[in-house]
Amino acid sequence: MPSLFVIRGNDQGTRFELQGPSISLGRDVSNVVQLHDTEVSRQHAEIRLQDGVFQLTDLNSSNGTFVNGKRVQRSGLASGDQVQIGGTLMLFTGPNEDAGEDLSGKIDISLPQLSGDESRIIRSVTHEEGSRILQGDIEGPQTSWLARARSNLQVMYRTALAVSHTLDIDQLLQRIMELVFEWVEADRGCVMLVEPESKQLTPKVRRTRRGVRAEERISISKTILDYVMEKNEGVLTSDARQDDRWNPAASIVRMGIREAICVPMQGRYGVVGVIYIDTSTSAQDIVRKGMSNKFTEDHLKLLIAIAHQAALAVEDTRYYSAMVQAERLAAIGQTVASLSHHIKNILQGIRGGSYLIEMGLTDHDESVVQKGWAIVEKNQNKISQLVLDMLTFSKEREPELTASDLNQVAADVVELMQSRAKELGVELHYRPGEPMPLLVFDPEGIHRAVLNVVTNAIDAAENSPGQPGQPGGRVEVATFYLPETARLQVLVSDNGPGIPADHLDKLFSPFVSFKGSRGTGLGLPVSQKIISEHGGRILVESTPGRGSRFTLDIPAVQPGGTSPTQV
Amino acid sequence: MDKEVRWKKATEGNNLVRNRSVLVVDRSEETREVLTTALQRRGWRTWAASRAQRGLELAREHQPDLIVLDLEIEESSPEALCEPFAQETARRKTPLVVLGGVGQGNPALKGAEIVSKPYHYGPLIRRIEELLAASERAWARSA
Repeated sequence: MPSLFVIRGNDQGTRFELQGPSISLGRDVSNVVQLHDTEVSRQHAEIRLQDGVFQLTDLNSSNGTFVNGKRVQRSGLASGDQVQIGGTLMLFTGPNEDAGEDLSGKIDISLPQLSGDESRIIRSVTHEEGSRILQGDIEGPQTSWLARARSNLQVMYRTALAVSHTLDIDQLLQRIMELVFEWVEADRGCVMLVEPESKQLTPKVRRTRRGVRAEERISISKTILDYVMEKNEGVLTSDARQDDRWNPAASIVRMGIREAICVPMQGRYGVVGVIYIDTSTSAQDIVRKGMSNKFTEDHLKLLIAIAHQAALAVEDTRYYSAMVQAERLAAIGQTVASLSHHIKNILQGIRGGSYLIEMGLTDHDESVVQKGWAIVEKNQNKISQLVLDMLTFSKEREPELTASDLNQVAADVVELMQSRAKELGVELHYRPGEPMPLLVFDPEGIHRAVLNVVTNAIDAAENSPGQPGQPGGRVEVATFYLPETARLQVLVSDNGPGIPADHLDKLFSPFVSFKGSRGTGLGLPVSQKIISEHGGRILVESTPGRGSRFTLDIPAVQPGGTSPTQV
Repeated sequence: MDKEVRWKKATEGNNLVRNRSVLVVDRSEETREVLTTALQRRGWRTWAASRAQRGLELAREHQPDLIVLDLEIEESSPEALCEPFAQETARRKTPLVVLGGVGQGNPALKGAEIVSKPYHYGPLIRRIEELLAASERAWARSA
């Protein structure tokens, strides 16, 4: 299945499978590949399958479409190509790269005496010697082939590096094998990796040149593999016996010759596997063209160099996946800690309320029962808010778009928060924008997004000394409809202590709260998620000691009409 | 339930019990409300503060017989938060009850009664009563 894998951007880690004759890319929810990236246009580009080639076409996007760093209007895509639109970088993988193929039946590690393989090592090159091919200090005249190959190794290295961040080793090896086949005329090739647990060489990727029977098994001599792994040397082998070459009756004239190169994949920390390629010369060709080796020492050295780069990329990928895994575990730990803390506080509240109720019932004092009940109710509300935030945060949801009145939504939030503001000694003001037409957005979502920001503002303004003539904490909510830029905005400003610079970059990180035991760390991430689902953004301005201002900014979409185009 | 009723009757009959007082320093309005309501029903005087600074002022002004201090009220370290209160209670030989999940071995909390969260109010109130009773006995012996 062809796919686009997001290497960088808000959707990092997402793999879009490209199904059907036409695939649209853009920010709008109608796209098959929907990217949560404000630099991406609503309808940005499309990919069509034409005559077996995936054609990427830019749809007059504002910021353009790039393939491998070059801006394109239209471009065919090949596996390994990097597609950039807006701030999102994706890796294209074409069809027919079934990485999940079971290779165990197609590649054998054989004992020579059993298989009748008479391959012998006719040349070996150490890893160090082979790698020097990249450094340009090899002796002797260089063939133009080698010079070209060397310059292209740089390209390969860059590609390998890019691929190594996809977390997909099979895909990486597939790409490396392709590069090998571009530079060496091999019939068949495979990559085997040492499994980290079992320490056994396991076939990972196999490739055959066009026209070569793909179903044929690749049989690799265990003796040769052991030699390569233990000595860390690349070898060139042939199954032709030296004395056979001049003997027309010998097996080679009947069977042809098989030459092979097998090299270690030497990484930073050890040998991670081997790359094997081979080629056969038929008996007829030997008779027609005479004896000549297809694989030379240069091929061997080049393959050693490639294998080294491949090994580095494999190590990087493994390291990267281990790191991602560790980060994931750390994030889960943080999430659990943060949630337990918050739930613990709610539980404490419920216990307090129940205790008062029990006490009131025992003493037949209804006022105490009522006190307790109010506490229980408040905490029940806290739990439902927490659950709503968690659901909004975790679920992939579509905004439920209807023609709505932003002033009404904001007024509801302000009304809902008045009692809390009063409790904390904060003045909460509302300034609705006029005129405010009905515009299309998800009123419930926007309500939640505004509510979380206003809650934070009130918490921040608590204990604020205020200004002369206007003492105490103060929060102002204002709405704006800007027809000329087609934007809809909610501004929430407070006169709290402001946000320290070192908190700004973590402001929207989930489960990070700067409000102590009062915060779940979900409020702002939820607001941001809802706003970006609307194709908008949240701007934060903060002056330490003076206060903060949050601007929730979404496109103003007219009911019934199409959305105005905008960047 | 029965236990509490019995206890209440026992204290009502005890003429030696003077008007005890407790200071609650806790960020949570709910906790303050629950504790003060429960303690007041036992006929005790209570004060409550949401911040450490205000709590200290009340402690110095009213000299309560016991202080309940929530360690999560401020962003400062538990040690820094606790120290002035510990000094205050140690000086007057009155109990300090600390609410929060901190290690028992924390030297800054030496001498304080630590109740980890989440706690149940019933046992907490009983513990407060026991501590008050013990400190009263100690006070009576020394007098």
